[in-house]
Amino acid sequence: MERKPSAVLMVALILWMFGVAGTVILPLFDQEINSATASGELRNYPEDSAEAKGREIYIQNGCQTCHTQFVRALPADTNQNLGPVSQGGDYKYDLPHLLGSNRTGPDLMWVGLKYNEDWHRQHLIDPQSTSPGSIMPSFDYLTNKELDDLVAYLMSLKPTEERLAEYKKEREEQNSMNDK
Amino acid sequence: MFTDEKWSSSKNWFIAAVIWIIIGMSMGLLTAAKQIWPDLLNNRWTTYGHIRSAHVMLVIYAWLSMAYVGSMFYMIPKLAKTKIYSEKLGNFSLVFYNIVILEGFFALLDGQTSVIEYGEFPLWVDVQLLIAIVIVAYNLFKTVGQRTEKMLYVSLWYFLGSLLWLPLTWIVGNFPAQWIPSGVQQGLMGWFLGHNAIGLWMTTVGVGQIYYLLPKLTGRPLYSHQLSMIGFWAIATFYVWNGPHHLMNGPIPSWISKAGVIPSIVLLIPVWAVLANFWGTMKGSWAQTRTNVPLRFTMAGTIFYLFACLQGPLQALPSVSSVIKFTHWTVGHAHMGPFGAFSFTSFAAIYYILPKIVGREMFSKKAMEAHFWFSTVGFLVFAFSLWIAGVVQGFAWIEGVPFLQTVLMMEPYVQGRAIGGTMMYVAQFFLAWNMYKTIKVAKQEKKQQALHQAVTA
Repeated sequence: MERKPSAVLMVALILWMFGVAGTVILPLFDQEINSATASGELRNYPEDSAEAKGREIYIQNGCQTCHTQFVRALPADTNQNLGPVSQGGDYKYDLPHLLGSNRTGPDLMWVGLKYNEDWHRQHLIDPQSTSPGSIMPSFDYLTNKELDDLVAYLMSLKPTEERLAEYKKEREEQNSMNDK
Repeated sequence: MFTDEKWSSSKNWFIAAVIWIIIGMSMGLLTAAKQIWPDLLNNRWTTYGHIRSAHVMLVIYAWLSMAYVGSMFYMIPKLAKTKIYSEKLGNFSLVFYNIVILEGFFALLDGQTSVIEYGEFPLWVDVQLLIAIVIVAYNLFKTVGQRTEKMLYVSLWYFLGSLLWLPLTWIVGNFPAQWIPSGVQQGLMGWFLGHNAIGLWMTTVGVGQIYYLLPKLTGRPLYSHQLSMIGFWAIATFYVWNGPHHLMNGPIPSWISKAGVIPSIVLLIPVWAVLANFWGTMKGSWAQTRTNVPLRFTMAGTIFYLFACLQGPLQALPSVSSVIKFTHWTVGHAHMGPFGAFSFTSFAAIYYILPKIVGREMFSKKAMEAHFWFSTVGFLVFAFSLWIAGVVQGFAWIEGVPFLQTVLMMEPYVQGRAIGGTMMYVAQFFLAWNMYKTIKVAKQEKKQQALHQAVTA
């Protein structure tokens, strides 16, 4: 093999294909990530809806570079009160996905639960006015229409009522356990 | 229109690479500054998100990749004892590649992004970049094909493997994701690219460079051929499986998580094999790093490579990940491979190769020293700020400190990062100036020599 580049390439290709099969192809057959949850269905926005357009604006302005949409069953996330732990099926219609990798700003998986439209609008135009010390840039360069769409998208990031009720119940149980 | 002067493509890829390191790192510095002054240069084009994406894509695919191609256009023919298959095609691919990078740069500033980290260019740019990469790979494969040296030195293995893996990985990461109807599945594809752009391109070409440079710079033979084979095949076997650890503790089934975590930890094997080989080769030559700047860059690179590869498998442990994931730590870690390890080896490659091509030594040794110390000290300030910040931030989140308060806690570290980053950025001007002077003076000397010969003849 030390004299045959084609042999090196062949084996290199086969090893690479194993990795693709294991980490890319096999997951295609996994039900858990490929069928939508009820909360995932809520993110299946009709084309041309304000939410769908707002999502585009979210992407175009790079919101995903600072904000994850990714709640883990870990103290770091539960203690920050981020909401229900996210499941594979929540992202079924999330294309392109906005999981993110860095929390320069807080997680936005269920941000629709936390504030109202007016707060979001004010925060986007002048972040420091609602969140003193925030290092988010102002998005005052967006048009009114764009801001409306973006706010509609952010407000849509909610779980279903049932999921929320379940989550609240779990938290209460946990809190009462901690109190004892 | 394209020159076929010997070594011209190697030299031209290096020149383009160094122009891009200045542009790419200025984007990085702006990103750091925006975390201190959020409204600095804030508008529809240069908002934070666009600048950060442009920084990542430019330093990896413009600076580092072009420096890699420049190295390979010199090292591959040398190892194969032949000339490059086509210098003309090499120069053409350079112009084409740069046009595509410019398109990608403007697309990102325009807010067109495919969101895939390390593959953020939109689809229309992805296709063109793939073509450019394939042209480069074709030229280099053909060069290996016409070799007169039958034995393939280990660097060639790494280069051949990388030139095959990069286009394939680029395809998996960028293309099917546009049609696969499931977010998490897409995440897995994206991180297949995200991790393997690093594992099967940045790491493997960089390691190939070191294998080439060490024996040349020290004048000693490679410590063990056997060990280099073990290292190569272990990287090829295990690196590919690392993508899923980026979605650790997240919305993926546990079997996928395990399929990603276990190989991430096993990666310690090839890393130690490779480093044992490098440091074995160095035995008795360490004193040379005092005066030999390219060798010092190479060795500092291997040390940063070791650190990066100690962090990597540790970070892949669910418990460690649960503290540092999403924090500033990740950003520090993400700079150690591309900057600390492989930009350093690329600097060494430029300092070794450029004098051979232009026929005179580097113009200023002082500038090389300044380049090294600013880069190293700057990087250490930068990285330690981020690592400390990450740990503090991670535990603050676990304590339940309100998010906004954790942002305020990070202020001094974010400033430290910007100071370190400024030093890293300033360092590159010493490189660019030194290169410019070297090439210019070499040209003048050649002219004078020709004149002298004409007179005496």
